[in-house]
Amino acid sequence: MAATLHSDSASPQPRNPTSLRIYKILGTSFNDPGTQDALRTVSELYAPEALAARSSKEASTDATEDSPLQPHHEPPSLSSRVNSTSQDLTHGIEDIAAAARQNLRKDTEKRLTDTSRKYLTALGEINAKLELLQTHVNLMRTSCNEADQHLQASTDASKSMLEHASSLRNQRQQVEDRKSIVSLFISRFTLLDAEALALTSRDASVDETFFRAMDRAEQIRDDCRVLMSGEEGPSQAGLDIMAKMSSQIEQGYEKMLRWTAHAFRQMGRDSQLDVHPSLRAAVVRLRKRPELLHEVLGQLAEIRQDTVLSSFITALTRGGPSGLPRPIEIHAHDPLRYVGDMLAWVHQAIAAEREFLESLFDVKGDRRMVGATRSFAKAEATEEEGWLFEMMDAAVTKLCVPLKARVEQTIRSQQSGIVSYKVANLLQFYWITMSRTIGEEALLSKALRGLTDLAFTVFYDEVQAHAKTLTENMMDPNDTSVAPPYALLDHVQVLKEILNVYQSFLNEDQEDDQSHELVRILDIMVDSAVNMCTVGASDKMAIRPVWDGRVFVLNCLTYIQNVLEGYAFTGRKQTSLAETIKTHTGILLEDHYQNLMEDTGLKGFANVSSSYDESGPLSHQPGARAHEVQAYLHQFASWLSMVEIGHSPRLTRLTQHKLHSEIHEAALERLVEVYRQLCAEVRRPSHKYEAAATLLGSERPFGQVALLQQILGVADRADLKEGSSQ
Amino acid sequence: MAFNVDDDATELLETYDFLMKFIIIGEAGTGKSCLLHQFTHNSFKDHSQHTIGVEFSSRTLKLGEKKIKLQLWDTAGQERFRSVTRSYYRGAAGAILVYDITSRESFANLSRWLTDARALGSASLVVILVGNKSDREEEREVEWSEASKWAADNDVHFLEASSLSGDNVEAPFLLAARSVLLAIEAGALDPEKAGSGVSYGDRALRRVNSSSRLSFGSLSGGRQKNTVKLKMKKWMPGSRCC
Repeated sequence: MAATLHSDSASPQPRNPTSLRIYKILGTSFNDPGTQDALRTVSELYAPEALAARSSKEASTDATEDSPLQPHHEPPSLSSRVNSTSQDLTHGIEDIAAAARQNLRKDTEKRLTDTSRKYLTALGEINAKLELLQTHVNLMRTSCNEADQHLQASTDASKSMLEHASSLRNQRQQVEDRKSIVSLFISRFTLLDAEALALTSRDASVDETFFRAMDRAEQIRDDCRVLMSGEEGPSQAGLDIMAKMSSQIEQGYEKMLRWTAHAFRQMGRDSQLDVHPSLRAAVVRLRKRPELLHEVLGQLAEIRQDTVLSSFITALTRGGPSGLPRPIEIHAHDPLRYVGDMLAWVHQAIAAEREFLESLFDVKGDRRMVGATRSFAKAEATEEEGWLFEMMDAAVTKLCVPLKARVEQTIRSQQSGIVSYKVANLLQFYWITMSRTIGEEALLSKALRGLTDLAFTVFYDEVQAHAKTLTENMMDPNDTSVAPPYALLDHVQVLKEILNVYQSFLNEDQEDDQSHELVRILDIMVDSAVNMCTVGASDKMAIRPVWDGRVFVLNCLTYIQNVLEGYAFTGRKQTSLAETIKTHTGILLEDHYQNLMEDTGLKGFANVSSSYDESGPLSHQPGARAHEVQAYLHQFASWLSMVEIGHSPRLTRLTQHKLHSEIHEAALERLVEVYRQLCAEVRRPSHKYEAAATLLGSERPFGQVALLQQILGVADRADLKEGSSQ
Repeated sequence: MAFNVDDDATELLETYDFLMKFIIIGEAGTGKSCLLHQFTHNSFKDHSQHTIGVEFSSRTLKLGEKKIKLQLWDTAGQERFRSVTRSYYRGAAGAILVYDITSRESFANLSRWLTDARALGSASLVVILVGNKSDREEEREVEWSEASKWAADNDVHFLEASSLSGDNVEAPFLLAARSVLLAIEAGALDPEKAGSGVSYGDRALRRVNSSSRLSFGSLSGGRQKNTVKLKMKKWMPGSRCC
C-alpha cells in the first residue's frame, strides 16, 4: 500500500487509476493492513501538523502543508502553533480532514509534480552529467579503440619484428656456434701467429717454442689426415690445411737445418764439443728428414774433419799453449814415442768425438770403459749407432792421411829390427783397441791395420834380411872351434830381444804360441839359424873332421834351444827344434858308437858276426877265430882299464854336458849289447869255440855282462828284461 | 719425442762449463781403475783385471755453480805399458796419482811417476796424490803423515780414499777440478787454447757470449770459496793443508 501510495504521489499522470483504486478502496473494506498503512500515510500527510510528531516530520509536513496552508495561515511560530494545536485539536482535525479531502489530490498532484520536477531537474542534471560522462566515455572509447588499434597495429607490426628478431636470434646463435666451432677449428688446425713466426722467422731462435710449434704443426697435419680419411673425399679446407701445415713444417725443417748447420759451424770454430739440448732435439727431429739430416751431418763431418785435422797438426807441430806440452814432432827421433804420442792423441780425439756424437744423437752412453769390447753386430746396431759409426769414420777421414804418412815414414826409416818390432806391436795394440772401440770396419781401424801390417812387413823384411846375412856371412869352415859362431850368437841375441818384446809387449791375452806373428818370427829366425848351422856343419865336415861338423851343429842347435827354453810360449818351436837336435844327436851317437867299437876292438868281431851266413861254425870264419877273438877281448880289456871310461874325450867338445853324457851312455849301452852278443856267440856250441869259458874269462870283464855294466856304470836293460820275463 | 719434460734433467747432466782431461796414474794394483769405477759408477769393481793400455771414462760433476765434465784416462800401471801410457800425459789438465797405503813399494815409486807427469804433462798440470785402500787400515804400510809430508815436499795435494767403500772418492777429482779452475782464473791456463786439457763447455760459452768472454763468473767470490774451503777441511783429516 505504501508503495502504491508512493507511486501515486510519484507520478501525477496515473491519477485515475489511483482514484479508481481509491474508490475501489473506499468501496471495499479497508481493514486490511495495507490499506490501513496507506491511510495512515495519507493521514500523516496532514495530521502531523497538529500532532506532536510534527516536530519530527517537520520538513515533509511543511512541504505538504505549506502550499495548502500558506494562503490561510501566516507561518505561525512553533509555540503558537503548539498552543493552537492544543487548543484547537478537535477543531483542527476537522479542518485538516476537510482540507485533506479538498486538497488531497491537488496536494498529492502538486507534490507529485514538485517531486517529479525535482526529479526532472535532478535527473536532468544527472542526465547532463551522464551525457558528459558519456562524452567522456565515448572519447575514452575512441581513444581506447584507437589505442587498441594502435596496439593491434603495433602487435601486428611487432609480430613480424619478433619473428624477425627470433629468427635473427637463431641466426645469431647459429653464427655464434659456428664461430666457436670455427675458432676451435682454427685454433686446432692452424698455428698461432707466434708459432708460425717461430717456425719460419729467421730471427727467432730454435728453442722450445720452436719445437712446440713444430709439434703442433705436425699434430695438425696428422689430425687433418685422420679427419680426411674419415670423409667421403678430400675436402678443400682439409687440403688447404694440409698444404699449409706441410709448407710450414717444411719451413720449420729448413730453419732447423740452417740453424743446426750454423750451430755446427760455430762448434767447429770453438773446437768445443758440448751439445746444447736444443741442438740435440733438432738432430732428433731432423731424423725424420733423413735427407736433411744427411746434409747437415755431412756438413758437420766436414767441419769436424777440418777441426780434428787442424788440432792434430797443431799438436804435432806447435804443441800446447806456449809450446807446452811440446809438439809431438819434437820427438820424431824416438820412433816409439813419436808414434805412441800420435796414436794416443788420436785415441783421445776419438773418445772426445764419440762422446760428442753420443751426446748429439742422444744415445745414452753405456758407460763402457773404452778398452772393453763393443758389439758391432749389424743386427743390433740402432740407427743412432749407424750414424755414430759413420760420423766417427768421417771425423777421422782426413786425420788418417797425415797420421799414415808420418807413421809409414817412421816405420820405413827404422834400422833396428827391435825398434820396428816395438813400433809394430804398438800399432797392433792400437789397432786392437780401436777395433774394439770403433769397430773393425772403421776407417781408422783399417788404417791402423794397414799400418800394423806394414810395420810387421817391414819388421819381417828386416828379420829376413838379418837371417839372410846370417846365411851369407858364413864363418870360416876351417875354424877349429866347434862353438856357435859369433854371427849365430848375434842372431840369437836379436831373437832373444824380439822374444823379450813379445813377452812384455801388450800381448797378454796371446800367451799361447798360436800367434801368427810369433810363429812367423820363429820360423824365420830359428829356421834360418838352424839352416845356417847345418850348412855350416856340412861345410866344416868337408874340410875338417866329420866329427867336428857333427859336434858343431849340435852345439849351435842346443844353444838356440837353450834360448827358446826361456820363453814358455815358444813351446811349439822348441818341439820341432828338439826333433832336429834328436836327429843330429842320433848321428853323433852312431859316430860315437862306431868310434867306441873301434877303440874297444869289438868292431872286428861285430863285422864278422853281422856278415856271418851260418855256413859252418863262426870259429872257422876268418876274423872270428879263437885267437882273433882273444885279441879283440884283450883290446877291450885294455880299453876298459883306461881312466876316464865314463866320459868321452871326443864328446867334451859338446857344450851341453847333458847331451854329452846322454850320447856317451847310449853308446856304452850299445857296447854292452855287443859284448853280450859276443859272449853268447862264443858260448854257443854250434860255433865250436874250444874252451869258450876260458876264452872269455881270460880278459876282463871275464864274460860277465853285469860286471861290464858295473864298470861302465850303465843300467842293464837286458837283465831287467830277462828279470821281468822270468 | 726426445724433447720432453725431462729436458731440464738432461741439461743438468749434459751441458757443462768446462771440459777437463784428467789422467790417472800409479803403480799396478793400486786400484786406479777401481777408483775411477767407483767415481763414475758409484760402485766397486770386483775382480778387476789389470788394465790393458789405457781406458776412458767420463763424468760431469758440479763444483759450486760450475758444471765440469771430466774426461778420465785410466792408465795401466804395469811397466810394460809404460811406453803407451806416457803418451797420455800430453794434454791432461790434471793427474790423479794413486798409491796403495798397504804397499810401501807403490809409495816408494811415486817419485818416478811424478817425474814422468811433470816431464810429459803440461806445465800447469795439477797433481793430486791419492792413498787408496784406506779401508784396510790394519794392513797399512804408509802412514798418512809420511805421505802428507811427501806431498807437501813435492807440491801436490794429498788425500786418502777407498774405492771399496767409496769413501772420499769424489774428493780428488773435485780438488783437481777446483785447482784447474783456480789456475784458469789466475790466468795460468787458457781454455781457449788447444792442448791445455781444458776447454769451455756450451754453458760457459753461452754465458760468455752474452757478456764478455773473460768474465765467466767469479770463482773467488767470497761465499763460494768458503764453501769449497769447508769441503776441503772435511776432505783432509789433518789440520794442515798440503
